[in-house]
Amino acid sequence: MIPQTQHEMFATPDHDEASRQEFVSDFRVHLASRVFPGNFPTYYNRVLPEFAKAHGHEPKTRHEVRKVMTKDPYYQLWSAMQRSSQEMIWDSVIDSVERHLPDLIQKAKQGKGEGSLTLDPGLIAPKYLTGADIHLQPGAYHSTFVDDDVAEGAIYDRGTYIYAMGGMGPENDGLGRITYNFFKNQYPERKPERVLDMGCTIGGAVSYWALQEPNIEFHAVDIGAPVLRYGNARAKALGAAVHFSQQNAERTNFAENSFDIVTSHILLHETSKTALQNIFNESYRVLKPGGMMIHLDLPQAHGVPPLEAFLFEWEIYNNNEHFYGQLRDIDLDDVAQQAGFKKEDIGIKFAGSTWMEDQTPYAEDSFEFPITIAVK
Amino acid sequence: MTKDEASTKKIKLPRTAKGKKPQYFSDPTIDKLLSMVLTLMGELSVTRDRLDTVERLIEKNKLFKQDEIENYDIPEDVNLMRSERRSAYIARVLKCVQDELETLQQKGDGKNVDLAD
Repeated sequence: MIPQTQHEMFATPDHDEASRQEFVSDFRVHLASRVFPGNFPTYYNRVLPEFAKAHGHEPKTRHEVRKVMTKDPYYQLWSAMQRSSQEMIWDSVIDSVERHLPDLIQKAKQGKGEGSLTLDPGLIAPKYLTGADIHLQPGAYHSTFVDDDVAEGAIYDRGTYIYAMGGMGPENDGLGRITYNFFKNQYPERKPERVLDMGCTIGGAVSYWALQEPNIEFHAVDIGAPVLRYGNARAKALGAAVHFSQQNAERTNFAENSFDIVTSHILLHETSKTALQNIFNESYRVLKPGGMMIHLDLPQAHGVPPLEAFLFEWEIYNNNEHFYGQLRDIDLDDVAQQAGFKKEDIGIKFAGSTWMEDQTPYAEDSFEFPITIAVK
Repeated sequence: MTKDEASTKKIKLPRTAKGKKPQYFSDPTIDKLLSMVLTLMGELSVTRDRLDTVERLIEKNKLFKQDEIENYDIPEDVNLMRSERRSAYIARVLKCVQDELETLQQKGDGKNVDLAD
Protein backbone atom coordinates (compact mmCIF):
# COMPACT_ATOMS: atom_id res chain seq x y z
CA MET A 1 0.00 0.00 0.00
CA ILE A 2 1.09 3.61 -0.38
CA PRO A 3 1.96 4.67 3.17
CA GLN A 4 -0.92 6.07 5.19
CA THR A 5 -0.16 9.49 6.65
CA GLN A 6 0.20 9.15 10.38
CA HIS A 7 -1.20 11.80 12.71
CA GLU A 8 -1.01 11.94 16.51
CA MET A 9 -4.05 9.73 16.98
CA PHE A 10 -2.90 7.02 14.59
CA ALA A 11 -2.39 3.53 16.04
CA THR A 12 1.01 2.92 14.46
CA PRO A 13 1.55 -0.79 13.77
CA ASP A 14 4.73 -2.49 14.95
CA HIS A 15 6.95 -4.48 12.57
CA ASP A 16 4.85 -7.62 12.34
CA GLU A 17 1.49 -5.84 12.55
CA ALA A 18 2.50 -3.65 9.62
CA SER A 19 3.62 -6.69 7.67
CA ARG A 20 0.33 -8.44 8.38
CA GLN A 21 -1.65 -5.39 7.26
CA GLU A 22 0.37 -5.18 4.05
CA PHE A 23 -0.34 -8.86 3.45
CA VAL A 24 -4.08 -8.33 3.82
CA SER A 25 -4.02 -5.43 1.38
CA ASP A 26 -1.91 -7.35 -1.16
CA PHE A 27 -4.21 -10.34 -0.77
CA ARG A 28 -7.20 -8.10 -1.51
CA VAL A 29 -5.45 -6.63 -4.54
CA HIS A 30 -4.76 -10.17 -5.78
CA LEU A 31 -8.39 -11.17 -5.27
CA ALA A 32 -9.66 -8.06 -7.05
CA SER A 33 -7.31 -8.25 -10.01
CA ARG A 34 -6.57 -11.96 -10.42
CA VAL A 35 -9.46 -13.93 -8.96
CA PHE A 36 -12.62 -11.79 -9.18
CA PRO A 37 -12.43 -11.42 -12.98
CA GLY A 38 -12.85 -15.21 -13.28
CA ASN A 39 -16.47 -14.76 -12.27
CA PHE A 40 -17.19 -13.53 -15.79
CA PRO A 41 -16.05 -16.59 -17.79
CA THR A 42 -17.53 -18.72 -15.01
CA TYR A 43 -20.89 -17.11 -15.67
CA TYR A 44 -20.79 -16.98 -19.45
CA ASN A 45 -19.15 -20.37 -20.03
CA ARG A 46 -20.70 -22.46 -17.31
CA VAL A 47 -23.48 -20.94 -15.23
CA LEU A 48 -25.40 -19.14 -17.97
CA PRO A 49 -25.55 -22.11 -20.44
CA GLU A 50 -26.77 -24.39 -17.64
CA PHE A 51 -29.45 -21.91 -16.63
CA ALA A 52 -30.55 -21.30 -20.21
CA LYS A 53 -30.75 -25.04 -20.85
CA ALA A 54 -32.93 -25.53 -17.78
CA HIS A 55 -35.18 -22.48 -18.18
CA GLY A 56 -35.13 -21.66 -21.86
CA HIS A 57 -33.96 -18.09 -21.24
CA GLU A 58 -31.19 -16.13 -19.57
CA PRO A 59 -31.55 -14.90 -15.97
CA LYS A 60 -33.66 -11.75 -16.07
CA THR A 61 -32.72 -10.28 -12.70
CA ARG A 62 -29.68 -10.07 -10.44
CA HIS A 63 -31.59 -12.19 -7.92
CA GLU A 64 -31.89 -15.02 -10.44
CA VAL A 65 -28.17 -14.70 -11.13
CA ARG A 66 -27.43 -14.84 -7.42
CA LYS A 67 -29.35 -18.10 -6.96
CA VAL A 68 -27.21 -19.91 -9.50
CA MET A 69 -23.84 -18.18 -9.14
CA THR A 70 -23.71 -18.82 -5.40
CA LYS A 71 -23.80 -22.54 -6.21
CA ASP A 72 -20.84 -22.38 -8.57
CA PRO A 73 -17.54 -23.55 -7.03
CA TYR A 74 -15.45 -20.81 -8.62
CA TYR A 75 -17.70 -18.08 -7.30
CA GLN A 76 -17.91 -19.82 -3.93
CA LEU A 77 -14.15 -19.90 -3.52
CA TRP A 78 -13.68 -16.26 -4.59
CA SER A 79 -16.54 -15.19 -2.28
CA ALA A 80 -15.18 -17.17 0.67
CA MET A 81 -11.69 -15.73 0.20
CA GLN A 82 -13.09 -12.22 -0.12
CA ARG A 83 -14.99 -12.73 3.13
CA SER A 84 -11.84 -13.99 4.86
CA SER A 85 -9.88 -11.02 3.56
CA GLN A 86 -12.42 -8.68 5.14
CA GLU A 87 -12.22 -10.47 8.50
CA MET A 88 -8.44 -10.36 8.32
CA ILE A 89 -8.47 -6.58 7.89
CA TRP A 90 -9.92 -6.00 11.32
CA ASP A 91 -7.89 -8.69 12.99
CA SER A 92 -4.66 -7.19 11.65
CA VAL A 93 -5.64 -3.71 12.86
CA ILE A 94 -7.11 -4.46 16.28
CA ASP A 95 -3.73 -5.75 17.50
CA SER A 96 -2.24 -2.27 17.00
CA VAL A 97 -5.19 -0.44 18.50
CA GLU A 98 -5.25 -2.62 21.62
CA ARG A 99 -1.59 -1.86 22.15
CA HIS A 100 -1.99 1.90 21.73
CA LEU A 101 -5.42 2.34 23.26
CA PRO A 102 -4.52 3.76 26.70
CA ASP A 103 -2.27 6.35 25.02
CA LEU A 104 -4.85 7.20 22.39
CA ILE A 105 -7.48 7.76 25.05
CA GLN A 106 -5.16 10.15 26.91
CA LYS A 107 -4.25 12.01 23.72
CA ALA A 108 -7.89 12.40 22.75
CA LYS A 109 -8.72 13.86 26.14
CA GLN A 110 -5.82 16.31 25.98
CA GLY A 111 -6.16 17.34 22.35
CA LYS A 112 -6.26 21.09 21.80
CA GLY A 113 -7.44 23.02 18.82
CA GLU A 114 -10.38 24.76 17.27
CA GLY A 115 -13.64 22.90 16.93
CA SER A 116 -15.54 21.02 19.61
CA LEU A 117 -17.06 17.75 20.67
CA THR A 118 -20.52 17.37 22.22
CA LEU A 119 -21.52 13.86 23.25
CA ASP A 120 -24.96 12.61 24.25
CA PRO A 121 -24.73 9.52 26.48
CA GLY A 122 -28.51 9.21 26.29
CA LEU A 123 -28.57 8.75 22.52
CA ILE A 124 -29.69 5.23 21.63
CA ALA A 125 -28.03 3.74 18.56
CA PRO A 126 -30.69 2.60 16.04
CA LYS A 127 -31.22 -1.06 15.21
CA TYR A 128 -29.91 -0.61 11.68
CA LEU A 129 -26.52 0.01 13.29
CA THR A 130 -26.63 -2.40 16.22
CA GLY A 131 -28.28 -5.40 14.58
CA ALA A 132 -25.11 -6.54 12.89
CA ASP A 133 -21.60 -5.12 12.75
CA ILE A 134 -21.44 -3.23 9.48
CA HIS A 135 -18.51 -4.24 7.22
CA LEU A 136 -17.63 -6.84 9.88
CA GLN A 137 -15.87 -4.32 12.11
CA PRO A 138 -16.25 -5.91 15.56
CA GLY A 139 -18.16 -3.37 17.66
CA ALA A 140 -18.98 -1.21 14.62
CA TYR A 141 -19.31 2.55 15.14
CA HIS A 142 -20.96 2.72 18.50
CA SER A 143 -19.44 0.21 20.92
CA THR A 144 -17.27 1.30 23.82
CA PHE A 145 -15.29 -0.87 26.20
CA VAL A 146 -13.71 1.63 28.56
CA ASP A 147 -14.30 5.23 29.65
CA ASP A 148 -13.55 7.84 26.99
CA ASP A 149 -13.06 5.05 24.46
CA VAL A 150 -11.72 5.84 20.97
CA ALA A 151 -10.97 2.26 19.82
CA GLU A 152 -13.60 1.97 17.08
CA GLY A 153 -12.39 5.26 15.60
CA ALA A 154 -8.78 4.11 15.51
CA ILE A 155 -9.81 0.73 14.08
CA TYR A 156 -11.91 2.42 11.39
CA ASP A 157 -9.09 4.78 10.35
CA ARG A 158 -6.59 2.04 9.56
CA GLY A 159 -9.11 -0.67 8.67
CA THR A 160 -10.89 1.29 5.96
CA TYR A 161 -7.53 2.28 4.52
CA ILE A 162 -6.61 -1.38 4.09
CA TYR A 163 -10.12 -2.16 2.80
CA ALA A 164 -9.57 0.35 0.00
CA MET A 165 -6.02 -0.97 -0.51
CA GLY A 166 -4.72 2.60 -0.17
CA GLY A 167 -7.21 3.83 -2.75
CA MET A 168 -8.61 6.56 -0.50
CA GLY A 169 -5.29 8.42 -0.61
CA PRO A 170 -2.60 8.75 2.08
CA GLU A 171 -4.82 10.88 4.32
CA ASN A 172 -7.72 8.40 4.02
CA ASP A 173 -10.03 11.24 3.04
CA GLY A 174 -10.63 10.52 -0.64
CA LEU A 175 -14.41 10.85 -0.49
CA GLY A 176 -14.20 14.32 1.07
CA ARG A 177 -11.77 15.35 -1.65
CA ILE A 178 -14.20 14.11 -4.28
CA THR A 179 -17.20 16.04 -2.92
CA TYR A 180 -15.18 19.19 -2.16
CA ASN A 181 -13.43 19.40 -5.53
CA PHE A 182 -16.62 18.45 -7.34
CA PHE A 183 -18.57 21.13 -5.46
CA LYS A 184 -15.98 23.86 -6.09
CA ASN A 185 -15.78 22.94 -9.76
CA GLN A 186 -19.49 22.57 -10.45
CA TYR A 187 -20.84 25.33 -8.21
CA PRO A 188 -18.09 27.97 -8.05
CA GLU A 189 -20.61 30.76 -7.50
CA ARG A 190 -21.75 29.32 -4.17
CA LYS A 191 -20.17 30.77 -1.02
CA PRO A 192 -21.37 28.63 1.87
CA GLU A 193 -20.93 29.87 5.42
CA ARG A 194 -22.27 26.92 7.39
CA VAL A 195 -21.90 23.22 6.43
CA LEU A 196 -23.25 20.05 8.07
CA ASP A 197 -21.79 16.58 7.40
CA MET A 198 -24.09 13.74 8.38
CA GLY A 199 -22.80 10.35 9.55
CA CYS A 200 -19.25 11.72 9.69
CA THR A 201 -17.67 8.70 11.45
CA ILE A 202 -14.05 9.83 12.06
CA GLY A 203 -14.56 13.03 10.11
CA GLY A 204 -12.22 12.24 7.23
CA ALA A 205 -14.38 14.04 4.68
CA VAL A 206 -15.53 17.01 6.76
CA SER A 207 -12.01 17.63 8.10
CA TYR A 208 -10.73 17.87 4.53
CA TRP A 209 -13.40 20.46 3.69
CA ALA A 210 -12.54 22.34 6.89
CA LEU A 211 -8.83 22.43 6.04
CA GLN A 212 -9.61 23.93 2.64
CA GLU A 213 -12.14 26.44 4.03
CA PRO A 214 -11.08 27.75 7.44
CA ASN A 215 -13.68 30.54 7.26
CA ILE A 216 -16.66 28.21 6.98
CA GLU A 217 -18.35 26.89 10.13
CA PHE A 218 -18.41 23.09 9.97
CA HIS A 219 -20.65 20.76 11.95
CA ALA A 220 -20.55 16.98 11.85
CA VAL A 221 -22.84 14.43 13.44
CA ASP A 222 -22.64 10.70 14.09
CA ILE A 223 -24.33 8.15 16.36
CA GLY A 224 -21.09 6.68 17.68
CA ALA A 225 -19.20 8.21 20.61
CA PRO A 226 -15.86 6.43 20.02
CA VAL A 227 -15.64 7.47 16.36
CA LEU A 228 -16.55 11.06 17.28
CA ARG A 229 -13.93 11.25 20.06
CA TYR A 230 -11.33 9.92 17.66
CA GLY A 231 -12.51 12.17 14.83
CA ASN A 232 -12.40 15.25 17.04
CA ALA A 233 -8.87 14.44 18.20
CA ARG A 234 -7.79 13.65 14.63
CA ALA A 235 -9.21 16.93 13.31
CA LYS A 236 -7.41 18.89 16.04
CA ALA A 237 -4.16 17.06 15.27
CA LEU A 238 -4.51 18.06 11.61
CA GLY A 239 -5.56 21.63 12.43
CA ALA A 240 -9.11 21.28 11.08
CA ALA A 241 -11.87 23.17 12.92
CA VAL A 242 -15.01 21.01 13.12
CA HIS A 243 -17.82 20.96 15.66
CA PHE A 244 -18.61 17.30 16.22
CA SER A 245 -21.80 16.22 17.99
CA GLN A 246 -23.34 12.87 18.81
CA GLN A 247 -26.67 12.98 17.05
CA ASN A 248 -28.83 10.88 14.75
CA ALA A 249 -28.93 12.45 11.29
CA GLU A 250 -32.60 11.48 11.06
CA ARG A 251 -33.43 14.27 13.50
CA THR A 252 -30.88 16.72 14.86
CA ASN A 253 -31.19 19.62 17.25
CA PHE A 254 -30.02 22.15 14.67
CA ALA A 255 -32.40 24.98 13.88
CA GLU A 256 -34.34 24.89 10.62
CA ASN A 257 -33.01 26.99 7.74
CA SER A 258 -29.55 27.12 9.29
CA PHE A 259 -27.12 25.45 6.85
CA ASP A 260 -25.95 26.36 3.37
CA ILE A 261 -24.80 22.83 2.62
CA VAL A 262 -25.64 19.41 4.02
CA THR A 263 -23.34 16.57 2.97
CA SER A 264 -22.93 12.88 3.63
CA HIS A 265 -20.39 10.35 2.43
CA ILE A 266 -21.43 6.69 2.01
CA LEU A 267 -23.98 7.11 4.78
CA LEU A 268 -27.19 6.32 2.91
CA HIS A 269 -26.37 2.68 2.18
CA GLU A 270 -25.93 1.93 5.87
CA THR A 271 -29.32 3.14 6.94
CA SER A 272 -32.87 1.82 6.76
CA LYS A 273 -35.45 2.89 4.18
CA THR A 274 -37.32 4.86 6.84
CA ALA A 275 -34.14 6.47 8.10
CA LEU A 276 -33.13 7.41 4.54
CA GLN A 277 -36.38 9.35 4.09
CA ASN A 278 -35.87 10.95 7.51
CA ILE A 279 -32.33 11.97 6.57
CA PHE A 280 -33.56 13.66 3.40
CA ASN A 281 -36.39 15.27 5.40
CA GLU A 282 -33.88 16.53 7.96
CA SER A 283 -31.56 17.76 5.21
CA TYR A 284 -34.44 19.82 3.83
CA ARG A 285 -35.43 21.12 7.25
CA VAL A 286 -31.99 22.43 8.25
CA LEU A 287 -31.08 23.84 4.83
CA LYS A 288 -31.55 27.55 4.28
CA PRO A 289 -33.73 28.45 1.29
CA GLY A 290 -31.41 28.06 -1.69
CA GLY A 291 -29.17 25.72 0.29
CA MET A 292 -27.90 22.49 -1.24
CA MET A 293 -27.67 18.88 -0.10
CA ILE A 294 -24.85 16.74 -1.46
CA HIS A 295 -25.14 13.04 -0.62
CA LEU A 296 -22.41 10.79 -2.07
CA ASP A 297 -23.02 7.07 -1.97
CA LEU A 298 -22.69 3.72 -3.71
CA PRO A 299 -24.23 2.94 -7.10
CA GLN A 300 -27.79 1.80 -7.49
CA ALA A 301 -28.97 -1.09 -9.64
CA HIS A 302 -31.10 0.89 -12.11
CA GLY A 303 -30.18 -0.13 -15.63
CA VAL A 304 -27.23 -2.33 -14.63
CA PRO A 305 -27.10 -5.75 -16.33
CA PRO A 306 -28.02 -8.67 -14.00
CA LEU A 307 -24.53 -10.20 -13.72
CA GLU A 308 -22.77 -6.92 -12.98
CA ALA A 309 -25.52 -5.88 -10.58
CA PHE A 310 -25.24 -9.19 -8.74
CA LEU A 311 -21.45 -9.05 -8.46
CA PHE A 312 -21.59 -5.49 -7.15
CA GLU A 313 -23.91 -6.53 -4.34
CA TRP A 314 -21.48 -8.92 -2.69
CA GLU A 315 -21.22 -6.63 0.31
CA ILE A 316 -24.94 -6.84 1.05
CA TYR A 317 -24.84 -10.60 1.58
CA ASN A 318 -21.30 -11.13 2.76
CA ASN A 319 -20.10 -7.97 4.47
CA ASN A 320 -23.05 -7.09 6.75
CA GLU A 321 -23.97 -4.18 4.48
CA HIS A 322 -27.56 -5.34 4.65
CA PHE A 323 -29.09 -1.91 4.19
CA TYR A 324 -27.32 -1.32 0.90
CA GLY A 325 -30.06 -3.58 -0.43
CA GLN A 326 -32.71 -0.91 0.19
CA LEU A 327 -30.64 1.69 -1.63
CA ARG A 328 -30.22 -0.39 -4.77
CA ASP A 329 -33.71 0.02 -6.18
CA ILE A 330 -35.13 3.02 -4.37
CA ASP A 331 -36.13 6.12 -6.33
CA LEU A 332 -33.95 8.79 -4.71
CA ASP A 333 -35.65 11.47 -6.77
CA ASP A 334 -38.92 10.45 -5.18
CA VAL A 335 -37.39 10.38 -1.67
CA ALA A 336 -36.08 13.93 -2.21
CA GLN A 337 -39.48 15.12 -3.44
CA GLN A 338 -41.17 13.55 -0.41
CA ALA A 339 -38.73 15.58 1.70
CA GLY A 340 -39.90 18.78 0.10
CA PHE A 341 -37.46 19.39 -2.75
CA LYS A 342 -38.92 20.25 -6.15
CA LYS A 343 -38.31 17.80 -8.99
CA GLU A 344 -36.50 20.39 -11.11
CA ASP A 345 -34.12 21.10 -8.22
CA ILE A 346 -33.02 17.45 -7.83
CA GLY A 347 -30.33 15.65 -9.79
CA ILE A 348 -27.92 12.75 -9.56
CA LYS A 349 -24.41 13.45 -10.76
CA PHE A 350 -21.36 11.19 -10.84
CA ALA A 351 -17.86 11.80 -9.53
CA GLY A 352 -14.97 9.46 -9.01
CA SER A 353 -11.38 9.21 -7.99
CA THR A 354 -10.24 11.61 -10.72
CA TRP A 355 -11.49 14.30 -8.33
CA MET A 356 -9.00 13.13 -5.69
CA GLU A 357 -6.11 15.17 -7.12
CA ASP A 358 -3.72 12.27 -7.76
CA GLN A 359 -4.04 11.05 -4.17
CA THR A 360 -5.02 7.53 -5.17
CA PRO A 361 -2.95 4.92 -7.00
CA TYR A 362 -6.11 3.74 -8.76
CA ALA A 363 -7.03 6.88 -10.71
CA GLU A 364 -6.89 5.00 -14.00
CA ASP A 365 -9.70 2.73 -12.91
CA SER A 366 -11.81 5.64 -11.82
CA PHE A 367 -14.83 4.37 -9.98
CA GLU A 368 -17.70 6.83 -10.04
CA PHE A 369 -19.95 7.50 -7.07
CA PRO A 370 -23.45 8.80 -7.62
CA ILE A 371 -24.04 12.09 -5.78
CA THR A 372 -27.63 13.06 -5.03
CA ILE A 373 -27.93 16.82 -5.18
CA ALA A 374 -30.95 18.93 -4.37
CA VAL A 375 -31.47 22.62 -3.79
CA LYS A 376 -34.11 23.94 -1.39
CA MET B 1 -6.53 0.73 40.27
CA THR B 2 -4.11 3.68 40.11
CA LYS B 3 -4.09 6.00 37.14
CA ASP B 4 -0.82 4.41 35.97
CA GLU B 5 -2.24 0.91 36.28
CA ALA B 6 -5.35 1.96 34.40
CA SER B 7 -3.28 3.45 31.64
CA THR B 8 -1.18 0.34 31.20
CA LYS B 9 -3.81 -2.40 31.72
CA LYS B 10 -4.50 -3.90 28.32
CA ILE B 11 -8.09 -3.54 27.15
CA LYS B 12 -9.30 -6.53 25.18
CA LEU B 13 -11.38 -5.56 22.19
CA PRO B 14 -13.88 -7.89 20.51
CA ARG B 15 -12.58 -9.84 17.53
CA THR B 16 -15.78 -11.33 16.10
CA ALA B 17 -18.29 -9.30 14.09
CA LYS B 18 -21.92 -9.53 15.18
CA GLY B 19 -24.13 -10.99 12.44
CA LYS B 20 -24.69 -14.35 10.74
CA LYS B 21 -21.80 -15.50 8.55
CA PRO B 22 -22.81 -17.13 5.26
CA GLN B 23 -21.75 -20.71 4.60
CA TYR B 24 -19.74 -20.86 1.39
CA PHE B 25 -19.08 -24.55 0.87
CA SER B 26 -21.13 -27.72 1.17
CA ASP B 27 -19.44 -28.59 4.44
CA PRO B 28 -18.89 -25.84 7.06
CA THR B 29 -15.57 -27.48 7.95
CA ILE B 30 -14.28 -26.54 4.52
CA ASP B 31 -15.07 -22.90 5.31
CA LYS B 32 -12.98 -23.17 8.47
CA LEU B 33 -10.12 -24.89 6.71
CA LEU B 34 -9.98 -22.17 4.11
CA SER B 35 -9.85 -19.53 6.85
CA MET B 36 -6.99 -21.40 8.54
CA VAL B 37 -5.06 -21.76 5.27
CA LEU B 38 -5.40 -18.07 4.47
CA THR B 39 -4.37 -17.04 7.98
CA LEU B 40 -1.33 -19.31 7.78
CA MET B 41 -0.49 -17.81 4.41
CA GLY B 42 -0.50 -14.41 6.10
CA GLU B 43 1.64 -15.52 9.02
CA LEU B 44 4.27 -17.01 6.71
CA SER B 45 4.35 -13.71 4.86
CA VAL B 46 4.86 -11.85 8.17
CA THR B 47 7.64 -14.27 9.13
CA ARG B 48 9.36 -13.79 5.77
CA ASP B 49 9.27 -10.00 6.20
CA ARG B 50 10.74 -10.28 9.70
CA LEU B 51 13.46 -12.64 8.51
CA ASP B 52 14.27 -10.20 5.73
CA THR B 53 14.64 -7.44 8.31
CA VAL B 54 16.89 -9.65 10.45
CA GLU B 55 19.15 -10.52 7.49
CA ARG B 56 19.47 -6.89 6.49
CA LEU B 57 20.30 -5.81 10.02
CA ILE B 58 22.89 -8.56 10.28
CA GLU B 59 24.50 -7.30 7.08
CA LYS B 60 24.24 -3.68 8.20
CA ASN B 61 25.97 -4.56 11.48
CA LYS B 62 28.67 -6.36 9.50
CA LEU B 63 28.11 -9.79 11.02
CA PHE B 64 27.86 -11.43 7.63
CA LYS B 65 26.66 -10.62 4.14
CA GLN B 66 23.35 -11.80 2.67
CA ASP B 67 25.00 -13.69 -0.17
CA GLU B 68 26.72 -15.91 2.38
CA ILE B 69 23.25 -17.43 2.81
CA GLU B 70 23.21 -18.51 -0.82
CA ASN B 71 26.80 -19.67 -0.69
CA TYR B 72 26.47 -21.54 2.58
CA ASP B 73 27.99 -25.01 2.20
CA ILE B 74 25.71 -27.24 4.22
CA PRO B 75 27.75 -29.67 6.33
CA GLU B 76 26.74 -33.35 6.14
CA ASP B 77 25.54 -33.52 9.74
CA VAL B 78 23.41 -30.38 9.31
CA ASN B 79 21.93 -31.86 6.13
CA LEU B 80 21.04 -35.04 7.97
CA MET B 81 19.47 -33.08 10.86
CA ARG B 82 17.44 -30.96 8.42
CA SER B 83 16.31 -34.05 6.54
CA GLU B 84 15.04 -35.69 9.73
CA ARG B 85 13.40 -32.46 10.87
CA ARG B 86 11.77 -32.05 7.47
CA SER B 87 10.37 -35.60 7.50
CA ALA B 88 8.93 -35.06 10.98
CA TYR B 89 7.43 -31.69 9.88
CA ILE B 90 5.76 -33.25 6.83
CA ALA B 91 4.43 -36.14 8.92
CA ARG B 92 3.08 -33.65 11.48
CA VAL B 93 1.22 -31.57 8.88
CA LEU B 94 -0.17 -34.67 7.18
CA LYS B 95 -1.01 -36.47 10.43
CA CYS B 96 -4.73 -36.51 9.57
CA VAL B 97 -3.98 -38.77 6.60
CA GLN B 98 -1.91 -41.09 8.79
CA ASP B 99 -4.70 -41.18 11.36
CA GLU B 100 -7.17 -42.37 8.72
CA LEU B 101 -4.76 -45.05 7.49
CA GLU B 102 -4.25 -46.41 11.00
CA THR B 103 -8.00 -46.44 11.58
CA LEU B 104 -8.54 -48.39 8.39
CA GLN B 105 -5.89 -50.88 9.45
CA GLN B 106 -7.49 -51.32 12.87
CA LYS B 107 -10.78 -52.15 11.17
CA GLY B 108 -9.00 -55.16 9.80
CA ASP B 109 -9.99 -54.83 6.17
CA GLY B 110 -7.45 -57.46 5.23
CA LYS B 111 -5.24 -54.93 3.50
CA ASN B 112 -2.45 -54.58 6.01
CA VAL B 113 0.08 -52.32 4.36
CA ASP B 114 3.67 -53.15 5.10
CA LEU B 115 4.88 -49.66 6.06
CA ALA B 116 8.47 -48.82 5.23
CA ASP B 117 10.21 -46.95 8.03
